[in-house]
Amino acid sequence: MNPASTAISPAGIVTDEAAERGLLSWVATVDHKRIGILYLVTTFGFFLVGGVEALLIRLQLAVPNNHLIKPETYNQLFTMHGTTMVFLVVMPALIGFANYLVPLMIGARDMAFPRLNAMSYWLLVLGGLLLHFSIVAGGAPAAGWFAYAPLSESPFSSSNGVDYWILALLILGIGSVAGSINMIVTILTLRAPGMTLRRVPLFVWMVLINSFLIIGAMPALNADIVMLFIDRQLEAHFFLANGGGSPVLWQHFFWTFGHPEVYIMALPAFGMISEVIPVFSRKPIFGYSFVAASTVAIGLLSFGVWAHHMFTVGLGHTADLFFAAASMAIAVPTGIKVFNWIATMWGGAIRCTTSMLYAMAFIIQFVVGGLSGITFAVAPVDWQMHNTYYVVAHFHYVLFGGTLFGMLAGLYYWFPKISGRMLSEKVGRWQFWLAVIGFNLTFFVQHFLGFMGMPREVYTYPDLPGWGMINMLSTIGAFILGFSMLLLGANILWSLLRGAPAGDNPWNAWTLEWATASPPPMNNFERVPLIRGRRPLWDLAHPEQPDSPGATPQPAGETAIAKNKASMIVFIISEGFFFLMLVIAYVYYNRTAGTGPTAASSLNLRRTGVFTVCLFASSFTLWLAERGFRRRSRAAMLSWLAVTIALGGIFLAGQASEYWGLFENGVTVHTNLFAAAFFTLTGFHGLHVTIGLIALLIVLWLSRRGGEEDFRSPALETLGLYWHFVDGVWVVVFSVVYLRAFL
Amino acid sequence: MSTKEYLMSAWSWNPIVIGACAIALVAYAGLAGFKWRARSWYFLGAVAIFFLTLASPLNALANGFLFSAHMLQHMLLLLIVPLLLLLGLPEMGAGFRAPPWLHWFAGVSAMWIWHERTLCDLATRTETVRVIQIISLLALGALFWWPLAGPVERRRMPPLRGVAYLFSACIACSVLGIFIAFSPAGAVCPVYLNPPNQPALLNLIRHDWGFTPARDQQTGGLLMWVPGCGIYLAGILALLARWYGSVEKPEASPAPFLPAHPNAEEH
Repeated sequence: MNPASTAISPAGIVTDEAAERGLLSWVATVDHKRIGILYLVTTFGFFLVGGVEALLIRLQLAVPNNHLIKPETYNQLFTMHGTTMVFLVVMPALIGFANYLVPLMIGARDMAFPRLNAMSYWLLVLGGLLLHFSIVAGGAPAAGWFAYAPLSESPFSSSNGVDYWILALLILGIGSVAGSINMIVTILTLRAPGMTLRRVPLFVWMVLINSFLIIGAMPALNADIVMLFIDRQLEAHFFLANGGGSPVLWQHFFWTFGHPEVYIMALPAFGMISEVIPVFSRKPIFGYSFVAASTVAIGLLSFGVWAHHMFTVGLGHTADLFFAAASMAIAVPTGIKVFNWIATMWGGAIRCTTSMLYAMAFIIQFVVGGLSGITFAVAPVDWQMHNTYYVVAHFHYVLFGGTLFGMLAGLYYWFPKISGRMLSEKVGRWQFWLAVIGFNLTFFVQHFLGFMGMPREVYTYPDLPGWGMINMLSTIGAFILGFSMLLLGANILWSLLRGAPAGDNPWNAWTLEWATASPPPMNNFERVPLIRGRRPLWDLAHPEQPDSPGATPQPAGETAIAKNKASMIVFIISEGFFFLMLVIAYVYYNRTAGTGPTAASSLNLRRTGVFTVCLFASSFTLWLAERGFRRRSRAAMLSWLAVTIALGGIFLAGQASEYWGLFENGVTVHTNLFAAAFFTLTGFHGLHVTIGLIALLIVLWLSRRGGEEDFRSPALETLGLYWHFVDGVWVVVFSVVYLRAFL
Repeated sequence: MSTKEYLMSAWSWNPIVIGACAIALVAYAGLAGFKWRARSWYFLGAVAIFFLTLASPLNALANGFLFSAHMLQHMLLLLIVPLLLLLGLPEMGAGFRAPPWLHWFAGVSAMWIWHERTLCDLATRTETVRVIQIISLLALGALFWWPLAGPVERRRMPPLRGVAYLFSACIACSVLGIFIAFSPAGAVCPVYLNPPNQPALLNLIRHDWGFTPARDQQTGGLLMWVPGCGIYLAGILALLARWYGSVEKPEASPAPFLPAHPNAEEH
């Protein structure tokens, strides 16, 4: 970077001293560190809301036959608690940590797309507010965080709650996908020289894998909730059995998202633990490559085991067998990590800081949650335990005892970097032990409640032997846990004002974020040390004894792709998954001919074939336009671009006339499942074509200036990728919808 | 007939299969210069699995009786045998490579095309089509694995690209597996709905083993979907192991400090 341009960074970010103060500077910030802090503060706020909801649930369950809270309110409470904790706390908090730390850890100035980063954050705020707005707009959603159909359908959930839930999740999903694209591109393109992908800190590696999981998993949820929304608003019957729909498909789609989601909520915490444990054991991580590779295995396997959430649905013994085996297999790479962490501590000079205490508690509690998870892989055990408190105990051990404890380890570890001040270790220890006691008291006993058959998500229970006492213990534990979290808040506030100054590297750690000041300056680093291995600060301090002798820095040439192109490719992968789900839904709903119109009876192959040819031709003309741009021929580019837009317009007009004809004949979304699936699939494709056309028009408008030789055409190549993708989707849609029906 | 009796009796000693195995072994011995190396185990494994796939009762069952047996055979011939063959080949100096997507397409299309309804039936009923099927599976499988496990080491795909290559193939096969697993019985290969009239064997399959046509097809789909993906996943792990195991290329750079944010100029 040119020293003269420090006031304004290349991305146009104002770094003037005056702009760094005041409320506006936070609202308008595009700095990854501030956005990271905003994420963390916001999620802590939602954490308190979700925590209060949990405490209300525990109060209601403290004694048998309690009438403190009405059943409807109770349903709303556990729905909001689950949704809040998953989508507004755990996911965004992990994204917040990644936002703050990843650019620092890889020696970058900021995220690849700072404004997109800000957008992701503000979508979180919008989604969170929208979800909670439902409370005053007719009642919060009350169908559980997984919103099983048909309970979540209009006949059974008539208030607006589920609609707000859908809209909020869509918005949060868009934010998460945008954030993940940003994260992937940042990690792939902005690493400091010498930091190859084999040398990135494990936290960065796990965030990378995690981001791929998000872009793969969110589209399944989005397709699912979009279909539910169409059911609720346009009276389709995707998930209503009385119209031929399939409530089971909701579960398939939901858990296609939901199981990777479990790992989305766990992997970054694994990454934090993998940073904390080596530093406080004074040893490098044991088996870096095993931890990294097993993360990839977890990521891939997590897409293939969703059906173990559905053993009680009745998929058949065969399916149960295969998924039982696959679900047990996924425990292997997770187990490998646990052994790696233990082996890292083995023989190390362990320093029991609060952060390390949390990390060790994480390992123990996560193993408990993992082992109870394996018991669910055994289908007959699952039939017995499904929807009992055993499940509640299991996933709280994973998500609270695991992920949240991991995040707290990370918070105590990185707070000095973020704030420049140490958190109080004395208060930290109290807080830690209260959290451990409170957490285990709350949830360990719930295993027994599950064995005894107490169902979850029911507002009260009869006075059976033992149930009252165990529930009371659990409630007491929950309040201890709640108190420890208040103590954490107090510790943070107190330390921000009075904490001991941290210095650059209070823990004597080895990764790059500790090479700069605490808190880091606006531009992160003055100079990035040369990276020769996985622990750059160790190599710097011990040049005579480097981690990997003989290793020399190498430019990050493994993935020398332009960031715009990379971001579009990642976006296309995500969109590809979305259309895959819609195509699967279409095929599923048309596997047998129902009553009413079918593809063969209501569509016109020849007419659609004509405007299909136009769309395919537009891919070719856009390629000619790109060629014109590369050859610096302005006339060729502009004219081929105009032809492309015209062809795209013809396609849309053709689709509009097709829709019009169908409406005339009384074929609408709520006619039958063929119509609903047809309009959903082709409608979303049409929407993508429309967006592409608008983008092409903008490019045309922007490139009208400039001379014959030096005209600008921003984003043409990137946009071209998108346009070819949209055409590629139509190849599939046309084959599945039209050709399959007529050939 | 008991299971044991059937498994003992249903072997077919097809001279073509035996001849092919013998020729392969002799040709390999010649190619490798009559020297036993560690990778020769791969080749031997490939030939052994090829032989077992086509001579054992698996082949008899796949021949119109059990769709799931057909699927297992299909996967062994497409994914396992060609991979082991390639791994067993001695390193070569030169070799071809088409664009990766063509290789990918070859492997994935072999999965899809042979499960097109009419082709699947034809391959079970007609001997000629059956032979074409087996040869095409081996050839397309070899094409699929070529960029990852081909004998020309320096022309292999970079490991991380290989991960994407295998993962996308896994998805493409999973989609078909899911489709087969959840389709009504007979929707994929109707020929398995009406197996040849052998009451003793059918009694064994339907009653002793409990394979109704619906469960048979579901098992076939699940085989392609879950263990099928497991093969790709194992490939991915092998690639990662190779990646982490290889030494990073040294590159001279004397300066201990570099200017910050070299990438910032790309904005």
